[in-house]
Parts: sequence; C-alpha cells; structure tokens
Amino acid sequence: MNPDHLQQGAGASAPALAADAVTVRYGDVTALSAVRARFEAGRIHAVLGQNGAGKTTFARVAAGLVQPAEGSISVFGRHLAGGDVVAARRAGVELVHQSFALPPSFTVAEVLQFVGPKPGLFTRRGIERHWQGWLDGLGLGLDAGARIRDLPIEMQQSAEIARAMVSDARLLILDEPTAVLSPEGTERLFARVRELKRQGVTVMLVLHKIREVLAIADTVTVLRGGELVAGPLEAQDLTSEALAELIIGDGAARLDAGDRAALVGAAAEQHESHSLPDAPPALVLKRVSTAPEAGGKGLSEVDLTIRAGEIVGIAGVEGNGQRELVAAIAGLDPLTSGEIFLADRRMDKASLAARRDAGLRVIPFERNVEGLSLSSPLWENWSAAQLVGGSLLAQVSPRALRSAAEQAFQDWDVRFNDVAQRAGSLSGGNAQKVILSREMDSGARLILAAQPTRGLDIGATMAVWKALRQARSNHAGILLVSSDLDELFDICDRIVVMVSGQAVATFTTPWDIQAVGRAMTAAHKNRAEEATR
Amino acid sequence: MEDLIVAFLRSGTPLVYVTLAGVIAQRAGIWHLGLEGMMITGACATILGIVLAQSVVVGLLAGAVFCCLLALLFWFVVEVLKANQIIAGLGLTGLGLGGTALALTAIFGSEGAVSASFGLPRLGPAFGAFGGLSVLVAAMPFVVFACWLLLCRTRFGLRLAACGEHPFAARATGVNPGTMRLVALLLGGPLCALGGAELAAGSLQIFSVNMTAGRGFMSFAAVIFGAGHPLGATLASFFFALVGALGIRAQLSYGDRIPSSLLLALPYVATVAGLWLSARMRGGNAASSRELGQQ
Repeated sequence: MNPDHLQQGAGASAPALAADAVTVRYGDVTALSAVRARFEAGRIHAVLGQNGAGKTTFARVAAGLVQPAEGSISVFGRHLAGGDVVAARRAGVELVHQSFALPPSFTVAEVLQFVGPKPGLFTRRGIERHWQGWLDGLGLGLDAGARIRDLPIEMQQSAEIARAMVSDARLLILDEPTAVLSPEGTERLFARVRELKRQGVTVMLVLHKIREVLAIADTVTVLRGGELVAGPLEAQDLTSEALAELIIGDGAARLDAGDRAALVGAAAEQHESHSLPDAPPALVLKRVSTAPEAGGKGLSEVDLTIRAGEIVGIAGVEGNGQRELVAAIAGLDPLTSGEIFLADRRMDKASLAARRDAGLRVIPFERNVEGLSLSSPLWENWSAAQLVGGSLLAQVSPRALRSAAEQAFQDWDVRFNDVAQRAGSLSGGNAQKVILSREMDSGARLILAAQPTRGLDIGATMAVWKALRQARSNHAGILLVSSDLDELFDICDRIVVMVSGQAVATFTTPWDIQAVGRAMTAAHKNRAEEATR
Repeated sequence: MEDLIVAFLRSGTPLVYVTLAGVIAQRAGIWHLGLEGMMITGACATILGIVLAQSVVVGLLAGAVFCCLLALLFWFVVEVLKANQIIAGLGLTGLGLGGTALALTAIFGSEGAVSASFGLPRLGPAFGAFGGLSVLVAAMPFVVFACWLLLCRTRFGLRLAACGEHPFAARATGVNPGTMRLVALLLGGPLCALGGAELAAGSLQIFSVNMTAGRGFMSFAAVIFGAGHPLGATLASFFFALVGALGIRAQLSYGDRIPSSLLLALPYVATVAGLWLSARMRGGNAASSRELGQQ
C-alpha cells in the first residue's frame, strides 16, 4: 500500500480512506480496475468523472455496499474486508445515496431511530422530541414528524445527510448530491459541507461538474472508464481546461467548445440561438392542467409554444411537473382543462395513434421501462412504432421488419450482434440509440426528449445531441427535459423553467445562469417551508 | 346477543392469529399466500399431538415446529432460489392442504377426519357465557398488542418495515433484508400454528381435511384491508368474522327461506367487498395490483 505517484500531504496520520488496487466487476463488465488512492483526513475531496467512470461504484466500495473482486480498503488506518456495511459504518463511513435510501412512508424521526444507536421500545412523540432536538442542533431545518414522501427533494437530501450524521460519521461520502438540486440548493449544500469540514469531518463528494468541483473541493480525483486517471490532486493548482482534458481524455480534441463545456459542467458558454421567430408552431399548449397524481402535483395552466426547428428546454428541480408535462402531451394523462395543438390540429383528445400520425415522437424518461421491452428482441422493440395505428388486421411481416430494423440500427450506429437479441443485453447508450432509431424518423414533427442523456457516457451523449440538432435542422420541434442545466444551455434555443407544475419563466440567449437558477428555486422555497410546517 | 359475541370471538380468533403472521411477513416485503397451508398444518399438528401424545403442550409445540419448517421452506424458495412469492405461497398452501390429508391417511387409514378426546383448556365457568371459549381467545388481545409494540414501536419493527418498503435503504444501513425476512416468516410460524390450533382444538376438538376452508386467504385479505397495520388488520379479521357469525345467525332464523349455502358464502363475499373497498380507498386498484406485481 504505497502509492508513490500520489501526492501526499503533511502529517503521518492515517488517511481517511485508502484504496489499494481495488477492482470491481459486475458480470463481465469491469466497473473499477486496480484503483489506488489515499484521501487525507479533514479535507473535502472530489471524485470526478463522466457517467460510467466508476464514481458511484467507488463510493459504494468505500461504504461496504459493494464487495471488490480484488484489492482492499482501509478507513482511518483500519482495514476493511469490503462488502460489509456494518463494519464500514462502525469505522465511521457514511454514504449519502444519489437516489436517497429512505423509506417513503417513514417520518424523519423514524428514519433516524431506524439507523440510530438507541434500541428498545419507543413512543412516537418520544422519538420525535428526541430527534427534533438533535436536528435543531444540526441546523438542517427539518421537522422530525414530517413524512419522507411529503418532503421536497432538497429536504429529503437533508434528511439523508442527517441520517448519515446520526452515527457520528468521520468520513461522509455524498454520491452526486448536486444532481437533484437547483444552483441555489447546491450553494446551501456546499455551505453545509464546509461547516462539516470545520467540525473535523472528512467529506468525499462524487461529482461530474467541474464548476462545482472547483468551488468546493480541496483535492480532485479523476476516474475514467473505471480507471484512476489522476489524483488526489490539489484543487488550487488546477484549471477547468486541465480537468476537462483529464475527464474526457483523448476525445476532448474532437469536441466543439460548447459541447465540451456542457459535458464537464464548466461554466456554460453563450451560444447563438437557431430559433426562427416566424416558423409555424409544432406544438401549442393553452392553459393546460392535469389532475394531481398520487404523491405529486398536476400541471396548472401551462402555456407553451414550440416552433418548428426549435429546441425548447424544460428546466427545473426534478418533480416539478416535468413528467406530467410529457405525459400530457404524449396522451398518457388526460387533461382536466386546456388545449393541445400539434401543428395546427387540436389533439388533446386524440388517440395515441393519431398523435403519432401527426408526427409526435417520444424519448421517454425511463428507457428501460417505458422506452424498451427488455425481454423482447431488438427488432420487435424497433417495429413497435409501426404497430401503432393502421388496421388491426394489417399483415405483419416479421422478415421485412427484421431487415428494416437492421438497416435502421446500422444507420444509427447501434452496436449489436443480431436483431433477435434481447433489448436488455444492450448497454445504456446502445439502448438509447435503438429508441432514437425508432422515434427520430423522417415523419417526426415534434419530439419529446425526456432526460435523453441521463446515465450515458460521452460517446452516447454526443450521439443524442447530434440527433437532436439533426432533427432541428429537419424542422422538427423539440422539447428537451433535462435536470442538467449545462446540457440545456448548450443545445437549447429557449429555456422554460417549471416550478410546481407551472411554467414560471422563459429565457432566451444569451443565458443568464443566475437568473435561471433563481427561477428554479423561487417558488420552491415556499413549498419547502410549507412542508416543514 | 351473548351467543353472537361468543360465535364471533370463536370464528374471529383463528383469523386474527393468522392475520398477524401475514402482517409481519407483509411488513418485511413478503406477500404471504402460504398462510392457508400453514394454518391447516398448525390445526392438524395440534390435533395429532393431542391424539398421539395425550398432551395439549405437545400438540401446540408440534404445530409451531411444523409451521416454522414450512416458513423455512418458503423463505428458502423465495429468498435463496428467488422464486416468485405468489406462486411459492400458493405452492405452500397446496403442500399444507395435501400434506395434512396425507398425514391423516397415513396414520389413521382413510379417514377424512380425526377427533381428539379433549381440546385446548377453556376459560371455565367463572366467565359465565364465555366460559366455553379457549384460553387462546383470552390471550389474543395481548398477542395483538405485543405485535403492535414489536412492529410499530421498536427499532426491530422499523428495520422490518424498511426491508419491505425500501430494501436498499435497509441494505445501506447494514441490515440484511433476506435475514429479516427469515425472522419475519419464523415469527409468523407459531402464530399460524396458534390460529390453526384454535380453529381445530378451541371448541371443536376435531381435525378434518380442508377444514380451514379458505380462512388463510381471508387472513391474507385482512392484511391488505388493514393496510399492513397490526391493529387495522385485526379489525379487518374481526369484520370478516362478524359477517360469518351473522351469517350463521341468519341461517338459524331464515334457514327455511334462504339457501344456507348462500349465507355460508357471506364471509367470502365480505372479503371481496373489503378488498374492493380498500383498493378504492387507496386510489384505484392500480396501486394494489402494482404492489402485488412488484413483490
């Protein structure tokens, strides 16, 4: 355990976390390969990398959730066998998960009692009083009696952090904590992280945005494709250009500056808008409202116009009506009031087949659930589109569909062996390309792209962006929902911010990053206060 | 009126015990369709214990042991072999119904029923009209209370609920959902055995093939109707039992005018109605069918 190529700080005290040749395999995929790194105690460490770089796996190894195939971990000098959460927690490691690990029906007090040190019988009022006092001491502004499912997402994260702090964590790992936060929420989180550091807690942040890393971290460690590229490096010696090189690697040179900045979350550049103010509208929403779903709010009086040849981004903290908006336009949720026009035809009562005939295409939020049938062959997934509409008795020729699918996959550069292979056997990027090949045909007039690049690596992300731009130049209107502001800033012509099911603000180039962030949180704050009352 | 209350307690108590087993399993994330099989195994083992060993204690112990063995088998099939819970539970029910019939034939020849010379201890004449009820009826409120304490007011209960509701949350804090499910099923074993024992030896002192007649499934329905809460599910079981007791009463009064089979079907009709109602209360049956499908 002597990683001589790493920078070592002063002081011979044991590092907060030391990884020695850690290798993790999932099936035949190597998620981490021989990662060696030492993280000093009492500092803020950032682990940085693209999707699929192995960041989350690394965090989970440290927390004992994933058993490494080879190598070992030690925490504050204590050797951990790996794959043992109890041992890791006893050593002082706590992990705040990306999609929080909190049972939704529990109250905050129950969550804390569930992980906390006090066994035995309790009364509901007793634990609420006990944990409320403790929470107030932490200054998180959480109500111990509130149920997790009623809390806004930022408060859920606070609850998760509180959960992690119950057992006096000495090494707190946060996995992509900013992915669900508004820029303002990110600021508050970072202030909290600095406060924890002052109290002597070592913090490791798994991030993928350079801007955020440079704002908070003392050291930076970069992973790419499961391998350690560099680190921990002192953050103050680094520039965003140098980090971008490290994150993207050899591909960096081939990317244009705007895409590169968007990929790595360096400050978004201004770019020119392509929208044509006099192009005919591809989509018009007039005062559209939907009924609230269980555990959420519906849309309320949304007005929105998307012109042909325009990419309109929907920004907002997750859970503010983005899913409901896509479901309403796609015809999956009925409207309670309002009108939807595709091109100039009224469509709010039209069938799915009619909407598709009118050129509506959907790249859904959950590609493995809504977008593909993982247990079905690729060609069936691809040809599902042809089965919408038309006569029920129309003849289906599997052979023709198979060869058409094969042709389409080749055009879209899908890596596959056989059109008969199951969709579930493809990687995320290839699976998304199968959906693109189905949805982005020449008949597409309005494309709903819901988080189309989430979880994809650089190559696949670039392919999606290229496809969206291609569709724009073919005069399709595009609605792009993304929680990644950098992505929106890079490829959108206009950005609409959604808060609590309402379209609250519209922005055009040049982007005012701060203003967009403020719009995302303005009404959000009220909601948070409401929930904690 | 007293007769009605006695009949009500008599038919409700077995349901309550079995329902509690279902609630514990459901909290841990298992939809326990094997309740029927475990209940009849408990009933059979109790009577056989009494007949063969002349001892109620041996009978109850035998019931608990066999039910725990079935619970262990269920856990192994579901958690280790990763079989579908619904199918495995139905299989367990089949095993219980068939296994008890087989045991009866193997031990007593081809009889459809076996009766014991005595049953569970009764409360005695000091309790007046209720003196004919078994001690398990009197113990039932305490068992319900203990289950409520365990599930809703201890850290063990929170862990169990986390395993059922969000297994990753449990795993992330070092709780193994598989182990917790084993504990939950093993806790349910003796409860099912008590339910079966009360059914067979509480007032009847007889075991007959298929004598549970769907009461295990009724308990399962009570788990859903009671939203997985021990008190709610207990009330739901009593609701089903009340309908049954009223049915018997109606049979005595109106038996000459209404076919008795129709009145005997009342508890089952109430079960279906209860399920429909609980689905309506929770926003359409999409939610409950999704829960069933996911688990």
